[in-house]
Amino acid sequence: MTFSLNLAFSDLLPLLPEIFLTFWLCVVLIVDFSFPRVPKERLAYLSVAGLVVTLGCLAWFDMNHVSGTLFGNMFVLDRMAIFFKIVILGATILVILVSIEYVNRFTLFRGEYYCLVVMSALGMMFMVSANDLLSVFVSLEFATLGFYVLVSYLRDDLASNEGGLKFFILGVLAAGLLAYGISLVYGETGKLVFSDMASAQPTPGLIIGFLLIFAALGFKVGAVPFHSWIPDTYHGAPTPVTTFLSIAPKAAAFAILLRIFLVALGTFKPIWVVLLVAVSILSMTYANIVAIAQRNIKRLLAYSGIAQVGNVLIGLAAGTKMGNDAILFYLLAYLFANIGAFAVVIAVSQAIGTDEIEDYRGLSRRSPFLAFAMLLFLLSLAGVPPLAGFIGKLYIFVAAIKEGLYTLIVVGLINIVISMYYYLIVVKQMYINEPIDPSPIAISGPMKTVIYVGLAGTLVIGIYPQPFTDWVVSATLMFANFVGPSVTIIPPGASLGG
Amino acid sequence: MTIPISYYLILSAIVFFTGVMGVLIRRNIIAILLSVELMLNATNINFVAFSHHLQDLGGQVFVFFALTVAAAEVAVGLAIIIALHRSRSTINVEEFNLLKW
Repeated sequence: MTFSLNLAFSDLLPLLPEIFLTFWLCVVLIVDFSFPRVPKERLAYLSVAGLVVTLGCLAWFDMNHVSGTLFGNMFVLDRMAIFFKIVILGATILVILVSIEYVNRFTLFRGEYYCLVVMSALGMMFMVSANDLLSVFVSLEFATLGFYVLVSYLRDDLASNEGGLKFFILGVLAAGLLAYGISLVYGETGKLVFSDMASAQPTPGLIIGFLLIFAALGFKVGAVPFHSWIPDTYHGAPTPVTTFLSIAPKAAAFAILLRIFLVALGTFKPIWVVLLVAVSILSMTYANIVAIAQRNIKRLLAYSGIAQVGNVLIGLAAGTKMGNDAILFYLLAYLFANIGAFAVVIAVSQAIGTDEIEDYRGLSRRSPFLAFAMLLFLLSLAGVPPLAGFIGKLYIFVAAIKEGLYTLIVVGLINIVISMYYYLIVVKQMYINEPIDPSPIAISGPMKTVIYVGLAGTLVIGIYPQPFTDWVVSATLMFANFVGPSVTIIPPGASLGG
Repeated sequence: MTIPISYYLILSAIVFFTGVMGVLIRRNIIAILLSVELMLNATNINFVAFSHHLQDLGGQVFVFFALTVAAAEVAVGLAIIIALHRSRSTINVEEFNLLKW
């Protein structure tokens, strides 16, 4: 057994965005400690500049159809990877912009905060390009290591410490499950690259291995029953980190799930559809019911996020190309609505110092702009036309109907009604109740930019979705010839014996 | 005489479940961290055994990465534990019950 590495310099082109971002990360770090007097705000803009250049590079790749694999199939750059990288980088830029004011709450290490955010983004860029189980493991841990530190960044705040601890313990447990699952899959198939596994037979070891991998990824996306860390971590973490955590790692983990389920496990579709349907129903129903009882806006959005993951899993359960398109579209719509909602939460908490829903009373009198933005974001999360969330939900439901998953559709529709109730509780506080302290709320420039971007995304995708659907459809072209075994879901009540 | 691969797998399964039970039962964060190390090392036993069995180097390469990741996790974990100990002067997980529901 010998290894040879034949790598021309030009072969590294698909890796260019990552290489550049690594270089830029070092630049930000060096500037931070070489010039301690430089205001930390400039470091934020420096990081954003690097991210924008990377984003431009990816856009250029997307237009010129640059693609390829590297390092013996471990790293793949296809249009789906480019899509997810753009989503992750977009989220990172917006998160850095909403952090600028918040960072002043940290007593120490304000500069390193931006480095850690960019580092996690880099890890997630590798995650969406991971094409074998080794790179899945390494990149997943790479991305999560940054988050462990970011979540417990408010060192003197007990809630932040506790959130960080819970996240860390469950995160490393998930890493252990993931590694053990990978070892079983490797033992059964002798392969680590996804596409080589496609012909594997469903042996018990392989199924246990994949269940363990699914459990670990379930932790990352926060699907019930692997969600227990989500509310506490989201509550305790600094709010910009919560924003980041609620979008980017979920998108990256879904990229891995798509590759595992459709490329590696395509032949097992009848087995995994049942699993995904169960997890999806549990996530939506449990999260929406518990969300009604929440008093803290960050916890409310945490449970709403779990419910949204349940919705995305409907698309995965459909297991068709259309299902994948719907997942990508939904994540795009979710990105804008969620980041906008969290930006409003940060702006309000900067002004009044709390995250309780009770303290949002009369927000429409204190800041009509923030209240109106929050209203649109919440309605988009709930799925009200003509906003982006509505098109996303519609797309996912249509994909599921084509596969005959009627039970899922019914449960999904009931859950939309439930979720509407708790979103409207917030709206009622903002618009109907009178404020206790009617002083207006000031919003900083970068925060305003992020809220405008969120509003623009939510409205444009909702009113004119055509270019975005074209984009997601072309992004998943590689699944176009995916023909899994057709599935017939047994309707409820029908006997299994028949 | 060669030892059949099932022996290695049984050993690693025992180590792995010891680790899982440790994470779920122990209350001291250091003990939980040690249990996670047990889980990852069970994985390494599996990989080396399979790698030898299949005559494929991929598994041994994975072990190197798993060791590195485990070391990085411990470094971050101990940093979090020190920060916790400074603010609460305890590392018993049951004492951290501020956030509920």
